[in-house]
Amino acid sequence: MATTPGSVITIAEVGAFDEFVRFARRRPSFMVGMTIVAISLFLALFGPYIGTYPTETALPGDTLQPPSWNHPFGTDVSNMDIFSRVIAAPRIDLTIALVSTAIAFIGGVLLGVISGYFGGGGKGIARYVSEGIMRGSDIIQAFPVFIFALALVGFRGPGAENVIAALAFLNIPYFLRITRSAVLQIRERPFVEAARCAGNSEWRIAFVHVLPNALTPPLANISPTIGFSILLTSGLSFVGAGVPVPTPEWGSMIAIGAPNMMTGQWWTALFPGIALGVTILGYGLMGAGLNDFLDPTKKR
Amino acid sequence: MRLVKYTSRRLLLLPVQLLVVSLIVFFLVRLMPGEPTFLYTGPFATMERVAEVRRQLSLDQPIYVQYAKYIERVVQGDFGLSLRTSQPVMTDIRQRLPATMELILLAVIFSVLIGVPLGVYTAIRNTGVINRIVFLYGMMAGALPDFWFALIAIFVFFYTFELLPGPIGRIGLMVSVPETITGMYFIDSILTGNLEALTSSVAHLVLPVVTLVFIYMPLVLKNAQSAMGDMLGSDFVTFARASGLSRLMQWRYALRNAMPPIITVTGILTWFLLGGAVLVETVFAWGGLGQYAVQSVVNADYAALQGVVLLSAVFTMIVFLLVDLAYFVVDPRIK
Repeated sequence: MATTPGSVITIAEVGAFDEFVRFARRRPSFMVGMTIVAISLFLALFGPYIGTYPTETALPGDTLQPPSWNHPFGTDVSNMDIFSRVIAAPRIDLTIALVSTAIAFIGGVLLGVISGYFGGGGKGIARYVSEGIMRGSDIIQAFPVFIFALALVGFRGPGAENVIAALAFLNIPYFLRITRSAVLQIRERPFVEAARCAGNSEWRIAFVHVLPNALTPPLANISPTIGFSILLTSGLSFVGAGVPVPTPEWGSMIAIGAPNMMTGQWWTALFPGIALGVTILGYGLMGAGLNDFLDPTKKR
Repeated sequence: MRLVKYTSRRLLLLPVQLLVVSLIVFFLVRLMPGEPTFLYTGPFATMERVAEVRRQLSLDQPIYVQYAKYIERVVQGDFGLSLRTSQPVMTDIRQRLPATMELILLAVIFSVLIGVPLGVYTAIRNTGVINRIVFLYGMMAGALPDFWFALIAIFVFFYTFELLPGPIGRIGLMVSVPETITGMYFIDSILTGNLEALTSSVAHLVLPVVTLVFIYMPLVLKNAQSAMGDMLGSDFVTFARASGLSRLMQWRYALRNAMPPIITVTGILTWFLLGGAVLVETVFAWGGLGQYAVQSVVNADYAALQGVVLLSAVFTMIVFLLVDLAYFVVDPRIK
C-alpha cells in the first residue's frame, strides 16, 4: 500500500481492466451512464418485487392522490401506486429493448460482413447479394422510423413480441451500415491477404478472420440503440400500439396520466417520463463513453 | 449543363424507388392476421356478401394480379376507402396534410434559425458557459420523449399560468376557420386578413412547435457545430489566417464550406419530424396526418394506414431529392 507519490506504474502492470477503470475515473459522465444502466438492469430483474403495492390492479380508496409518504409518486386515475409501477416498468421496457437490439445486432453484423466483404470488387453471385442487401436497407430507411414501426405493429396488433419484431427489423440497417464500413477497411489489410494465401476459403476469411476485427463499431452502437429502442417502445405504447394497458410500462403510464396533466394532477405523467428520460440518457452516456474507450485515438 | 443531367437521372430513379416502396406497403397488409374482407363485411355477413367483397378487393385473384391492381389504383390517386371515416383515403389525407405541413415547416424553420447560429457560435467560441449549457442541452434533449415534454409544457403554460390554449387542435372553438387557400390556418388567415383567426391559430401553434423545436433542434445544432469546427481547423482557414484575412472573412469561408452537411441534416431533420409529429399531434389533438395514422392503427383501418405509410415514404424521397439538388447550389465543385 505504500505507494509514494511519483512511483511509476509500468505498462506491464496495466491490464485491460485497469485501463478501463482509469478511463472511467477520468470520465464522470461515463460513470453516471454506467450507474444508470446498472440500476435499470437491477430494476428489470427485481423491480416488480420491490414496490409495496400491486402494479396491475387498482387499489380501493381515493384516486389521483398527490405524492405522499405512502405513495411517493402519488396514485393514478385507477388509484394504482405510481412509484411501484415506475420501478416495475424496466422489466418490459428493457426486455423489449435488449431482445430487439440483440436480434438487430446479430442480423446487422452478419449482413454487414457479407455486403462489406463481397461488395464492390466481389465476383459472381456474392456481389449481387451484397448489392441487394444494401438496396434493401436503403428502402427500409426511406420510411420515417416511427411511422414504419407504427405500421408494422399496427398490422400485427399490439403486444411485446410484435414491438420486438418491428424494432429489430428497423434497427438492422444501422448495424449493417456500421459493420459494412468497418469491413471495407479491414478487408484491405495484409492479414486478409495472408489468410487467403494460406488457402482459406473466402467465406471462412469473411467470418473467421474479418468479422471479429470489425466488431468494435457495432458493439459501441449497442448502448445508444437500446436507449433509442426504449424511446420508440414508449412512444408506441403511448398511442396504444405497443405494450397493452395494465402492464406497467413508462409510455403507457404517461398515456394514462395525459388527461390528468390538463386538470393539474402533474404527478401522473411526470414521474414515468423522468424515469424514461434518465434511462435513455444513461444508455446514451454509456455508449458515448464506450465509443471513446474503444477508439484508441480518443482514449487519452 | 450537368445539373439538368443529374436531376433527370435522379428523377428517373424515382419511379423505381417508388415501385419497391409500394411493394413493401402492399405486403404490409399481409402481415395482418386474417384478411381484410371481414373488416368491411362485419361478423354477421352472408357468404355471398363475403365473396362479393373479396371480389371487390381482388382478394380472389393471384397475388401478382392483386399487386398490379393495387399499383393501378395508387397511380390514379385511389388509396381505397377508409373504414373509419368512410371517405376515400386520398380525401382524408388531403384534408389533414396541411395541418402536419404547418407543424413540420415551422419546426424546421425555427430549428435552422436557432440551431445553425448557435452551432456556429459555439464552434467559434469553443469554451465558456454558453458552450457548457448547449452541450448539456444537446445531451438531454436527445433523451427526452417528445410526447412527455408536450404534456409538461401543457401543464405549465395552459393549466398553471393559463398563458396558452389547451390541446384542443389548431384553432379556438369559437373562432371561425379562415377560408381555405393553402390549408395552413396561420398562412390563410394572413392572406385573408382575418386577424382573429391569425391570433388564435398562432397561439395554438406555439406549444407543439416549441416542443418539436426543443426536442429535435439539437440535431441541427450539433451538426452545424461539428461541421463548422472541422472547417475552422482546416488547412484553408489556417492559410486564410496566415494571409492576414480578417476573422470575419475566415468565418465566412468556413461557413460556406460547412453548408453541405448542414443542408443534409436539415433533410434528416424533416424526415425525423414526420415521425415525431405523430406523437405530438396526438397529444395536441392536432388533426393532421400523424393523428390519422394513429387512429387508423387503433381502428385497424388498413387502407388508411397503407396510404399514410406510402405517402410518408414519397415525402421522404422528395426531401432527400431536394437535399441533393441543394448541393449544387452551395457546392460549386459538383457543377
